[in-house]
Amino acid sequence: MSPNLFFLLASVIFSIGLVGLVSRRNLFIIYMSIELMLSSVNLILATFSRVLGNADGSVIALLIMAVIAAEAALFLAMIVHLYRSRKTIDSDQYNALSQEKNYA
Amino acid sequence: MLETSILELLVFSVLALFMIGGSIAVITNKQTIFSAFGFLLVMIALAGMFALLQSQFLALAQIMISVGAVVVLSMLTILTVNLKEENLPKEKNRYKWMIVATLLVLPITYLLYRSMDEAYIYFVDIDKVSSQVVGKLLFSDWVLPFEIVSILLLTAMLGAIVIARKDDTEQKGRT
Repeated sequence: MSPNLFFLLASVIFSIGLVGLVSRRNLFIIYMSIELMLSSVNLILATFSRVLGNADGSVIALLIMAVIAAEAALFLAMIVHLYRSRKTIDSDQYNALSQEKNYA
Repeated sequence: MLETSILELLVFSVLALFMIGGSIAVITNKQTIFSAFGFLLVMIALAGMFALLQSQFLALAQIMISVGAVVVLSMLTILTVNLKEENLPKEKNRYKWMIVATLLVLPITYLLYRSMDEAYIYFVDIDKVSSQVVGKLLFSDWVLPFEIVSILLLTAMLGAIVIARKDDTEQKGRT
C-alpha cells in the first residue's frame, strides 16, 4: 500500500498533538500531546525506513522511543513535584518566571 | 511501490481510525484518566502500524516501551495525583481555543503532508526491514548514539528521582 496514507495519518496525529499542546491547560494532557507528536514522528521514520528499504530509520525510531521513555519519566516526576508545591495541575498557575509579579 | 491489498487497506483503516479517535479523545476529555485511555489506544494502534510496515522489532519495542512502560507510568501518576472534578483546571473556552488552534495548524498539516509526499518519490524501495538488520546496525554504525541514549536514560532516571523526592531540608527544618 502506498506510503501517502501513512504520511497523511502521521501529519494528522502530529497536528492533533500540536492543537492539544497549545489549547489545553491540564499538565497531563500537555504531556500526552507531546508524546503524540513524538510518536507520529516515529511513524514517519518507520514508513521512510520501509519505503527506502534502509534500516537506519528503524534504528532512529528505536532511539526516539528511548527518548520518549526518558521524557515520560522526567515529565511525570516534574508534574508530581509541581503538584506537591502548589496543589494544582493548571499550567496557568505556574508563572513564577513571567514578568508580571503574580505569584498565585 | 509497496503492493496494495484490500486486507492491508482494511487493517490500515481500522488502525488509523483508532489512532485518530484516540488522539482526539486525548485532547478533548476533561477527565485526565479518560485521556490516558485514549493515549493507550493510540500507542497500541501505533504498534499495529509498525507491524503493518513489516518492522516487527519496532512493533515489539513499541508494545514493550510505550504501552508497557510509558502509558502505565502515566496512568499510575494520574491515579496517584487523584484530582477531583473541582480541582481540574477550569477550561470553559477549551473548545473555542481548540477550533482556533485547529484552523491555525491546518496549513502546517498540509505542508507536512506535501513535503513528505514529495520527498519519498526520490527513494527506491526494497524488502522488509528485519530485526536482524536493525540489531546489526544498532550495534555497528549506530553504537555511539545507542550508548548516548543509555546515558540519557540513566540521567533521566536520576533526575526523576531527584525532582520527585520530598524536600529533605524542608522536613529537617520542620522537626
